[in-house]
Amino acid sequence: MKSLLNYFSSVKLAIFLLIIITLASILGTLIPQKRGLDEYVARYGQFGNLFHKLQITKLYQSSWFIALLCLFALNIIVCTLTRLAPKLRKALQPKIEIETKEITVLKIKEKFKKSTGLETAKKDLENELRSRHYRLKEVERENKTFILARKRILGWFGVDFVHIGILIIIAGGIISGAGGIRKYLTFSEGKVLDIREAGFKLRLDKFETEYYPNDSVKDWKSTLTVIENEKPILSKVIEVNHPLTYKGFVFYQSSYGWNWANTSVEIWVRKRKDPSFLRKINMKVGQKASLEGENIHISVMHFIPDFIINDRNEITSRSLQPNNPAAFIEGWEEEEKIMSSWIFSKFPDFARIHSEKETDLSFELKNFKADQLSVIEAAKDPGVNFVWVGCTFLMIGLALAFYWPTREIKVILEEDHGKTEVIAGGIASKSKEALQSEFERIMTSLRRSR
Amino acid sequence: MNESLLFLATFILYIISAFYYFLFLFKKRENLAMIGFSFALVGLFIHTIALFLRTFESGHAPFTNMYESLSFLAWSSILAYIIIEFKFEIRRAGPYFLLIVIALMALASSPLMPKEATPLVPALQSYWLWLHVSVTLLGEAFFAIAFITSIMYLATDSKERKGTKSGLSPEKLDSVSYRCIAVGFPLFTLGGLVFGMVWAFYAWGRFWSWDPKETWSLITWFFFALYLHTRIVMGWKGRRSAYVAIIGFLAALFTYFGVNYLLVGLHSYV
Repeated sequence: MKSLLNYFSSVKLAIFLLIIITLASILGTLIPQKRGLDEYVARYGQFGNLFHKLQITKLYQSSWFIALLCLFALNIIVCTLTRLAPKLRKALQPKIEIETKEITVLKIKEKFKKSTGLETAKKDLENELRSRHYRLKEVERENKTFILARKRILGWFGVDFVHIGILIIIAGGIISGAGGIRKYLTFSEGKVLDIREAGFKLRLDKFETEYYPNDSVKDWKSTLTVIENEKPILSKVIEVNHPLTYKGFVFYQSSYGWNWANTSVEIWVRKRKDPSFLRKINMKVGQKASLEGENIHISVMHFIPDFIINDRNEITSRSLQPNNPAAFIEGWEEEEKIMSSWIFSKFPDFARIHSEKETDLSFELKNFKADQLSVIEAAKDPGVNFVWVGCTFLMIGLALAFYWPTREIKVILEEDHGKTEVIAGGIASKSKEALQSEFERIMTSLRRSR
Repeated sequence: MNESLLFLATFILYIISAFYYFLFLFKKRENLAMIGFSFALVGLFIHTIALFLRTFESGHAPFTNMYESLSFLAWSSILAYIIIEFKFEIRRAGPYFLLIVIALMALASSPLMPKEATPLVPALQSYWLWLHVSVTLLGEAFFAIAFITSIMYLATDSKERKGTKSGLSPEKLDSVSYRCIAVGFPLFTLGGLVFGMVWAFYAWGRFWSWDPKETWSLITWFFFALYLHTRIVMGWKGRRSAYVAIIGFLAALFTYFGVNYLLVGLHSYV
């Protein structure tokens, strides 16, 4: 038990774990994460399966990586605890009565005789130390007075603040990973979605995309209303970087899209032999419209925003962006289908009309319009506040550790035939030169005073 | 007055500064280093005005693409160097450090870096942009000084072993490296990790997503944590410490530069 404790409290283990975690993290950035097994096999051949088995394909969520982190956390806990107890004792119940040799071994020290009595010397020294913000502890024994002067004691604990901060952050990460809820909500304007986990509903009142003069996107704004027990509770316009928070749930403007299934299209119909003939039809996908003055119905069967024919010869959409919009239309005469065709908004001449019956008509996909969808990410992250607390500890700790160096001055005053012998030394946790010069100034002023 | 003209003027001033610093290195006359230092100071001043102009012209923080961010890193580096030089008088590090600054400026002016200010994409429209980037890059600037002083340590240390004395003692170089990391580490932690996590939480909805840029800044942080632990707890000094500082800076460099070009992730702005 004891040796196990020693093992976990060793800095060597900490450094070993730090190196292993660093190497593992590097590996995780070199091998793409969270892809399909096929992709790994295609990329790494035989090793693809091995990587998958070793969970290198989701390294940061793998059981072995989390185990490493836990081991690291345990190491930090043991290191901190074993060092904290003696430090606390030193801070709260310091040894004031010390041997002379405990001062003489110090690097910063001085020894001299002062011509005044002990009481005067003590008063002078106390005043000087107090004016420099030292806190004093004193013990008197026979003809000796021991003074322990210290300042910025918190500096000793900077490292512990840092380590505790890191532990809180790790804990926050584990809580987030284990208890976090995350889902994407796709809204069209006016739609109400029930967020069951949260116990309330959310409505998208308005969604708009703002553009810069050069047509690049400036921002997406969704007006959201929280509805609880069928009553609207609050409304907020959210945008990227400005989420809505309600009852522990945070709603982010995550993405956007179009409701292509419900696209409205505008189709221009012409006759090749009659240039004056032009009919504009507006309709939705799935609807039928009659061609004015002709005995023909046109219906739009499909709309595809980014038309492509894939390797398997299937027609599909490459993306949800309107990069190559295409509509599939059919023409009917009474109950008889006379033609069908894909028409492309970007390539009006490309239409391939498949006719069952001779026709003079040509079709153009002139315009299309779909409702914009707002994609909102709903997240409940129970660990995040731990992370912020941990970060605060971490930063306070770093500031203390680097820039709040503890200083200690130990003095023994000894009465000797109406004179006082002064033996003094100083210890600084950092910036020893600064203490050296302060120490010298204190001693000089003590020498001079009468 | 326009920003690119001032940028060019700054570039020239830094080159002159480096020139005098190198002259000082060869002729060993202190006043040459002073001239070099003055040119760097004037360069910093003009550079500051250039950054202000850029901010007014573009309407956003002057570090949203590679050109701006390189220029800002060069500015932070000179600022960091002037502070360290003022405090520790490490003139002999000046010429080498200015080479890094000149490399950054040259890279920024290369035709590969688009210079025009583009409007901000939605994810970057946040005041966290100011806090996250400026503090992180300032921290990295201090790592860069530690990198130079560590390399100089290795060089002077092997010279001293052969018996030749040089201007800066290895002990001083070692201590300056440590002091620079003592400044850079808290800045990098605050700007890179803490502010980065806060911003990621507001912009992406999660404080940590193991994105390559995030992971690499953590890796950089681990290397410097390693530097501090081996030094403070295990008493490493000198050569071994210098090696860790050098690797740490290379990791920081990769985080800053390599990740964007070699790895794909969320953090694709700069």
